[in-house]
Amino acid sequence: MAMHGVPPGVTNPPAPLPPDAGASPETHKATGTLVLVLVFLAAFVVYYFINWKLLSDVWRVG
Amino acid sequence: MNSGMESPKGIWWKPAHRNEKLWVGIAFAWCMVLFAMMPLWHLRGGQNPSGIRGKVEPQAFMARTQEFIRAYQVGTESGIPVVEPPPGSDIYLMAMMWSWQPVLRLRKGAEYTLHLSSLDLNHGFSLAPVNLNFQVVPGYDYGLRVTPTAAGDFRIICNEFCGIGHHLMLGRVIVLDDQAPGAGAGGGGQ
Amino acid sequence: MTRFRICPTTGLKVDPQADALIKANAVVATVALLIGGVSAIMVLLTRWQAVHLLPADWFYRLLTVHGMNMLIFFILFFEMAVLYFAGAVLLNSRVAAPKVGWAAFGLMVAGMGMIEWTMFTGQADVLFTSYVPLRATSWYYLGVILFAVGALVVTVLFFATLAVAKRERTYQGSMPLVTFGAATAAIIAVITLGHGAAIYIPTYLWSLGLMKVDPEVYRMVWWGLGHSSQQINVAAMVSVWYLLGALTVGSVVVNEKISRTAFVLYVLFISMASAHHLLVDPGFSPSWKIWNTSYAMYLAVLASMIHGFTVPAGIEMGQRLRGFTKGMFDWLRRAPWGDPGFSSLIFSIVVFGFVGGITGVTFGTEQINIIAHNTLRVPGHFHATVVSGTAMAFMGVTYYVIPLIFRKRLAFYPLARIQPYLFATGMLIFSVAMTFAGTFGVPRRHWDITFANAPFDLEFSPAVSLVMGIMGLGGILAAVGGGIYILVTVWSVFLGKPLKERTV
Repeated sequence: MAMHGVPPGVTNPPAPLPPDAGASPETHKATGTLVLVLVFLAAFVVYYFINWKLLSDVWRVG
Repeated sequence: MNSGMESPKGIWWKPAHRNEKLWVGIAFAWCMVLFAMMPLWHLRGGQNPSGIRGKVEPQAFMARTQEFIRAYQVGTESGIPVVEPPPGSDIYLMAMMWSWQPVLRLRKGAEYTLHLSSLDLNHGFSLAPVNLNFQVVPGYDYGLRVTPTAAGDFRIICNEFCGIGHHLMLGRVIVLDDQAPGAGAGGGGQ
Repeated sequence: MTRFRICPTTGLKVDPQADALIKANAVVATVALLIGGVSAIMVLLTRWQAVHLLPADWFYRLLTVHGMNMLIFFILFFEMAVLYFAGAVLLNSRVAAPKVGWAAFGLMVAGMGMIEWTMFTGQADVLFTSYVPLRATSWYYLGVILFAVGALVVTVLFFATLAVAKRERTYQGSMPLVTFGAATAAIIAVITLGHGAAIYIPTYLWSLGLMKVDPEVYRMVWWGLGHSSQQINVAAMVSVWYLLGALTVGSVVVNEKISRTAFVLYVLFISMASAHHLLVDPGFSPSWKIWNTSYAMYLAVLASMIHGFTVPAGIEMGQRLRGFTKGMFDWLRRAPWGDPGFSSLIFSIVVFGFVGGITGVTFGTEQINIIAHNTLRVPGHFHATVVSGTAMAFMGVTYYVIPLIFRKRLAFYPLARIQPYLFATGMLIFSVAMTFAGTFGVPRRHWDITFANAPFDLEFSPAVSLVMGIMGLGGILAAVGGGIYILVTVWSVFLGKPLKERTV
């Protein structure tokens, strides 16, 4: 039962899970998350190497 | 399975499933790449912040810089001496509240050992618009071997807060083409 | 004899002293956020050169006020509240020695008061880092020492509470992951405060003329405090991620071993990263710089990347186990985006990771730092980590703290629901704009990039004014979001409708 001015997790806490939940490999999936983190890694690699390129354009210094 | 708010039941030291192992493996490999890039750039890259580092008393650095200015001065700009040192030499730049001295006239493609130090507080050497940045610490001589790669009229911004005149602190570096005529043509005042 | 109350939502047994200490620390944190926020707006409207609101001295002064109030007072008082929650409340335990907690709270408030007074009276125009030989009045350093001692006492009290809970068997098995994460934050806090003592005591004595402090040594030890304090924030933020995931969608811990090991990696390696502030300093060798800046081969970055997977994976798995199994992203699409705790959680993870993490690790590279040090890229980075990351997560969890601990309804709830969207969008625009400006060489901590009255002229690329204007707009949007948060929380706490036990 929702209530004004209270976030749903307070009045309707998430349903408890049965004790054997997630035990088997079929339910132990997080493919959506895996895709998201691979996108993150791709962004990281690109940004990182762009910066090496920017660095290589400045004066030589050592 | 339990949430992060609940105590795990039984032995929680369990092997990871395939998803987790895959990601940890990929992430670890990336970490190794990140680590390897730094020594690699020291071997093969042209920009490293190593420098020749040493300690120096501010008064001694000031004296050395003034000697440098006397030897190679070619003019004055906005009250600041302009010097044109020979390529390959040790050159000196002192930071103080609130100016960079002297103004340097350098040659494109020539290597210099640029000694940076401060006479008073921390300052930040920021060559614009190249965007080369180094910390300038009183009591320390940072001898960076620099080679200008383009001709132009550059500025030195101070990017480390050094008091109320911090934003007035602006220096100048002029880089002449390697084909340009020799020294003596000092700039006028501004 | 402690009389616990039972939380109707979680079933936890709550010590009224824990309630009171959480409330007190959270309220002071919000006061600091307000001071920090007002000074933020004024600093922003000054760096936006078209407006250039403050004169130079007040700019540098309020920049100091902004840094201290946000990075020290707001965040640390909030983290004290997190420690009481994770230690006493989550473990059904009494607070080990509440009177000590109150004394420490008083010390922290006294320290904060001293520091505010010295800053606002212009006796501490030294910026958050107070780099020697820049000098503030001795009272400033003394205030910092008092504050730090108070925080250290609360941290030790947290460990004492963990011991009491274990001895009195208030919970079964291992402590929950959120408490474990908070404990790693607390361990890093001890490392941090140790560095703090090592630098502020000598600097205090130096300010009295009693000893010398080498400027490069100061930088090294100070950043041992300064960066490690940010890692307290990381560990606390990640703990709050697991907490918010549990409260909002019942997220599961995918693998306790992996998550806990990642927290341990933080403790072992994260303080080495303080070196990334010294990469273009003359005092250290390349090998020292490389080893330390990489947190010993990036093992602490590995830890963050692990949590970056396990936290969303836990949400996904929790959702899938409750029936959201369609396709690859139904679990996310049909998550409670209207719950401000949930939206804050997601934005915190995304902006912290994609903007904060990526930019930080990149220019924490020894050589890349050459094109980033002291430019606007640096505040661009840390506003994505500590503001859009940690502060955002803390704001999100406040929306649960108010009903669960303060036992009040949230006032202006429709505003609360959009607050995370406004704040995250504003901060994202702000941080990215700063990062762009910094790549053009725009300096940080600088009153006038038109260089009026300087001996030479300098004009940045025309793109810079555009980007600085965008930064201004993003910052204003974020300030609106921050203002809504303060309005909602302060009103709810002092004027909000109480939640009666039996109606929940």
